[in-house]
Amino acid sequence: MTGETMAKLLEMIDIDKSFFGVRILDKVNFDLGAGEVHALLGANGAGKSTLVKILSGAYTLDAGRMLVDGRGVDMSRHSPESALAMGVATIYQNFHLIPHLTVAENVCLADFSTGGKRWVNWKTMRRRALDALSAIGLDIDPGRVVRDLRVSQQQMLEIAIALSQNARIIIMDEPTAAISQRESEKLFGLVRAIRARGVGVIYISHRLEEIRQITDRVTVLRDGRNVGTLPVDDNLSFAAVVELIAGREVKMGRRPRATTLGSEFARVEGLRVPGYGDPVAFSVRAGEILGITGLVGAGKSEFARALFGADRPLSGSVRVEGTLVDVSNPSSAIAGGLGYLPEDRDTSGLCMGLSLKDNISLTSLAKSKSAALSVRRDVQLSGRFRKDLAIKSVDVNQQVRYLSGGNKQKVIFAKWLAANCRFLILDEPTIGIDVGAREDIYRLIEDFVGTGRAVALISSDFDEVLSLSDRLLVMSRGRITADLDPGKTDKPEIMSYCLGVSDQSIRHAAV
Amino acid sequence: MEQGEESAKSFGALAFGLLRHQVVSITAIMLVMWVILWQMSPHFLTVRNILEITLQASVTAVIAAGVSFVIYAGMIDLSVGSIFAMAAVGGGLAYHAANNAQWGTFPGVAASLLATVAIGGIAGLVNGLSVVYLRIPAFVATLGMMGIARGIGFIICDGVPIYGLPKAYTEIGQGKFGPIPYPTIITIALFLVFFVILRNTRFGRFTYAIGSNAEASRLSGIKVNFMIPVIFVICGACAALASIIEAARLGTMQPNGGQGYELQAIGAVYIGGASISGGEGHILGSLIGAILVTTIRNGLNILGVSAFWQLVVNGLIIIFAVAADQIRKRR
Repeated sequence: MTGETMAKLLEMIDIDKSFFGVRILDKVNFDLGAGEVHALLGANGAGKSTLVKILSGAYTLDAGRMLVDGRGVDMSRHSPESALAMGVATIYQNFHLIPHLTVAENVCLADFSTGGKRWVNWKTMRRRALDALSAIGLDIDPGRVVRDLRVSQQQMLEIAIALSQNARIIIMDEPTAAISQRESEKLFGLVRAIRARGVGVIYISHRLEEIRQITDRVTVLRDGRNVGTLPVDDNLSFAAVVELIAGREVKMGRRPRATTLGSEFARVEGLRVPGYGDPVAFSVRAGEILGITGLVGAGKSEFARALFGADRPLSGSVRVEGTLVDVSNPSSAIAGGLGYLPEDRDTSGLCMGLSLKDNISLTSLAKSKSAALSVRRDVQLSGRFRKDLAIKSVDVNQQVRYLSGGNKQKVIFAKWLAANCRFLILDEPTIGIDVGAREDIYRLIEDFVGTGRAVALISSDFDEVLSLSDRLLVMSRGRITADLDPGKTDKPEIMSYCLGVSDQSIRHAAV
Repeated sequence: MEQGEESAKSFGALAFGLLRHQVVSITAIMLVMWVILWQMSPHFLTVRNILEITLQASVTAVIAAGVSFVIYAGMIDLSVGSIFAMAAVGGGLAYHAANNAQWGTFPGVAASLLATVAIGGIAGLVNGLSVVYLRIPAFVATLGMMGIARGIGFIICDGVPIYGLPKAYTEIGQGKFGPIPYPTIITIALFLVFFVILRNTRFGRFTYAIGSNAEASRLSGIKVNFMIPVIFVICGACAALASIIEAARLGTMQPNGGQGYELQAIGAVYIGGASISGGEGHILGSLIGAILVTTIRNGLNILGVSAFWQLVVNGLIIIFAVAADQIRKRR
């Protein structure tokens, strides 16, 4: 069963899309046949979600055409409503469901079965819900409240609702990310059933084994380009797919740095992160940048938060320079020499309404013992960091909300430098930061470890960790799956560990 | 010439910057209002009347001083009016109990003052602990306390107002240092202390930080769960202090006193330029805000406007003050 032998349900031709001058999609072609399950693969930021969002009308496109049933779609008028009318439905994780309403109410949400009348007809609603559920063989009581259903049941309910609204193209975005193996099997059964009814499914997943189980074709996006569409059959090599996803070329070379790694600087043992079962352990040496990478949802950020005490770890010990650090809360973690740049710097990194001065001095004040503060000292301190870190602002009294992303990040960096932090945990430090400021941040990281301290650099950007880190850990589903030498590995190998491809030969072939 | 333009420009920028500073603009509005009222009634702008205004404003101002901390920290306290009454009545009972035990006048008054401030502080502590440990929004926690404190105030005195305060007590509200009433001095002293706390201590800086972003503050090492209860203790204690001033002026403690005072105080803080979302505001703004609210009441009184209309004007001013803040933010 390949797309060529069937009528094309959907064709997307030469799709271009840019955000703020950055090209996200570059002449992407994608098609879907009736009764086909087409996998869409790619690393973080490869353009998968942008492509399906154009299809579902959430984004407009810059250039390109879209055909449904061979007929052109007027993309200038394409919207979420018109996509729905065309039969395009997206199954996020219970995104469309209203949790405290019943199954029946959710099924009939669009019109509440009023049939044009003023009153809600509960009996008709229940019957319609039963029809929708039984159409795909789902056994759920329509009177149950959605919140009480399992995640997989909610997903199947979403599919039932989509089909009852005559959906013909269903987009499933990481449907198995939060459900068990057995529930996944059930979901696959359902996917096969709707495929048999002639519905086309676009299946986004990071799990390669699922691709072989239920998809007919696979398309890989990398850096906004379609780098290959392959039929899924016995000849499909995972190694080839991994290489398509990761690419071989390294965009940034390894940054030259006079690294003199010292003795062990920090050691983390048996750290159990809320929401993930397995304990995590590693150690860092003085002067070392320890890269930690993985796909979105691998548990990197959760791990960082637990390490810093932002979320209290279930168990485990952290030592910095031989001294045990209490990481049950941020305040004591900071006292032990830890520092943390959160991934979402606007919502948890900065006090937006406060000035540069107040933000930069905040942690050093929290660390100090005296009640009084000297405004003059804070002005001098923040003035010095503003100059040293080349923070672009009117003066140190400007509110940080008016700064650019890169300058905001520098303010957070200055805050930790001012507080004499020893071991800095950076969570996606360059996300949403322009190229010039990115270079500044890299230099700050290098200067920081150059003084014999250490950094844990958490990033989904393979190029970044490859070029910057002295050692590289890969995380997948809450576990450290590899400990690599960035000088001797490449992107396909990292990707294979991210995807948790267990077959040794594939890993070998990928290298 | 060029330099002249430069300095003219910088002067303009400075004037504009000053006007944008809420404390300055609110003071300007207050002065304009005084001139208008003076034009309408020669009785208004006399030293006696101005001192009278500061005396009348002292109760609202002292409550507003405490409420300022809560609002700067991004929260709200609706219970200060009820805490005001409960603390006053509790202090009155403490005085009479001490009197019955033959403690003498001064120890009795001291016990009363201490009891009042302690009750206010404890009620504030309960507010703060509910916010931190029961994880309920300050709005709800203090709405509950509004009823609880009011109820307890009635229960402990059986709903009967307390009289029979000695001169040593009433002197606090009625006495003068030269021409300046004691309540005015207490108010100014309190605001000076709070000004220093908010500007020159870690505690003040952290109060604004929590109001601006509580999560970022926690991740910066601030013990937010310690700060919030302390902030509410300050607020409750200030309400109690205000109740002492009023009890001393009137010579009685009323279990139904302080009704609506929370709205006056919150209004004064907003008029003084505090942001409803927290993190911004100046304590002197709260003082001017309290005086402005009182000026309007006093001025309308002198002009013979009904007390009912004064409530309407008061409400309108709060709405416009917050609207001005929103407009300022949008720019």
